[in-house]
Amino acid sequence: MTPDTETDEGDVRFVRQLIGLDYAVRTNPVARAFGEALAEGRITGHRCPSCGLVYVPPKGFCPICTVPTGSEHEVAIADRGIVTSWTVLTPIQYAGQEEREDYALASLLLEGADGTVGQQRLVEVALDEIRMGLRVEAVWAPEGEREPDDRGYGLGTAITGWRPTGEPDAPADAYREHVL
Amino acid sequence: MRDVAIVSFAQSGSLVGTDLSETQVILPVITEAVERAGIERSDIGFTCSGSADYLSGTPFAFVANLEAVGAWPPISESHVDMDGAWALYEAWVRLQHGDVDVALAFSSGISSRSDLGEVLCLQNDPYYLLPLWADHVSLAALQARALIDAGLATEADLAEVAARSRRAARDNPHAQVSGDVTAADMAAKPEVVAPLRAGDVPPVTDGAAAVILVAGDRARDLCENPAWIRGIEHRSDPHYLGVRDLTRSTSARLAAEAAGVGDAPIEVAELAATFSHEEIVLRQALGLGDDVEVNPSGGPLASNPMMVSGLIRIGEAFRQIDEGGRHRTLGHATSGPCLQQNLVCVLEGDS
Repeated sequence: MTPDTETDEGDVRFVRQLIGLDYAVRTNPVARAFGEALAEGRITGHRCPSCGLVYVPPKGFCPICTVPTGSEHEVAIADRGIVTSWTVLTPIQYAGQEEREDYALASLLLEGADGTVGQQRLVEVALDEIRMGLRVEAVWAPEGEREPDDRGYGLGTAITGWRPTGEPDAPADAYREHVL
Repeated sequence: MRDVAIVSFAQSGSLVGTDLSETQVILPVITEAVERAGIERSDIGFTCSGSADYLSGTPFAFVANLEAVGAWPPISESHVDMDGAWALYEAWVRLQHGDVDVALAFSSGISSRSDLGEVLCLQNDPYYLLPLWADHVSLAALQARALIDAGLATEADLAEVAARSRRAARDNPHAQVSGDVTAADMAAKPEVVAPLRAGDVPPVTDGAAAVILVAGDRARDLCENPAWIRGIEHRSDPHYLGVRDLTRSTSARLAAEAAGVGDAPIEVAELAATFSHEEIVLRQALGLGDDVEVNPSGGPLASNPMMVSGLIRIGEAFRQIDEGGRHRTLGHATSGPCLQQNLVCVLEGDS
């Protein structure tokens, strides 16, 4: 409920009803292996043995072919790729908000992967210079500060951001199928 | 009405504190159900799933679960935030439309990552019961107490149900709790919430299950002994417990009447009796005589993956026809506190 205190002002009385639920998070074996590789500075994916598509992060199966994948299907993914889409966020200063300035999160198509990795921070680039096809490379967090996403959805804190490489942009054909 | 039959059933078995993601649990179960039916995934015209994201605490887990289905090219699918038995019901309704012949119903539940005593409070009304944090075991105990006070059951009756469930579960490789125990053993267990003792309360189970439904004669091509859905109905009692007579289940009785339970003898009934006393309430409500074998699988007291237990009951009722040579069986599912909502599914074999 919104009010911090019970009030008797006016005709409406409020009662605080705070609800908290505790969960145990368990990291599945595929996500755990992915996180361990990230801690060593490696990005890994799984290549589907049926259709050949490479998933990053790996899921432990191919959702198109519905066949399981495992460590035998692991492939190395480059820590560089291209921006396929992005959003500039303007942080609202609610309690707990640590962001102060506008910043950009992007979907990236990494070299060696067939799908994008979302919600990746772009750094060392002016917000109005971000574009589709922009080539970027990872800025790794120091060893020991690379906390994995415990459910295996993203890259955790292993990579603090992605900065432009300065190379010419990738052609539209490189990201046409990955703009969403 | 189109004739619709269950031709295939698969389940994960009782997972306890699994590390796997919900999707990883589901994938092999659907694959097994599809392979047992002898069909391709592309044959499936409609898919319906049942799950609750509150259990694992993963927002939109039900969307991620679709990755286990093979949803590309796009498929026709739906989801219920209920036990998979209700997903099966929706799939059965969808097959009545007549334009698709094969449907998949599946469900999953990762119960072990939350405190069910907290999470299930959130299904109570937000004004009277939720602020009391009236947990599901305490509410079940109120119902058991009402039953005993009314002279409709004794604590010894509860212990008998608990012991029989564990003994039956010895033959079920998917069971989590089983043993050669007596009612006296169960009566000696410590109380959890009086009058319910440890044996009267289900274990916490993770798991998934899947059922393939097929309309018309094609069911006979795919399965030697298809289980035809002769009646299926679900009804609900009022949400607020204070306006209900907890010693009886009106919604279960109405669902049973609508599903035609009493039209011919039932040989085996798989009941989603999550607590011992619920079996006694349900037997009375469904009009099941003493000659009806109840929960030969061990029932939810032997394995209780939330959101899956009801679908498993229907799947086990199918197995009794497909593998057990029975002719007429019943699968039951429930939802909400104290048997608030009930689904009854009557199955018949050809022979």
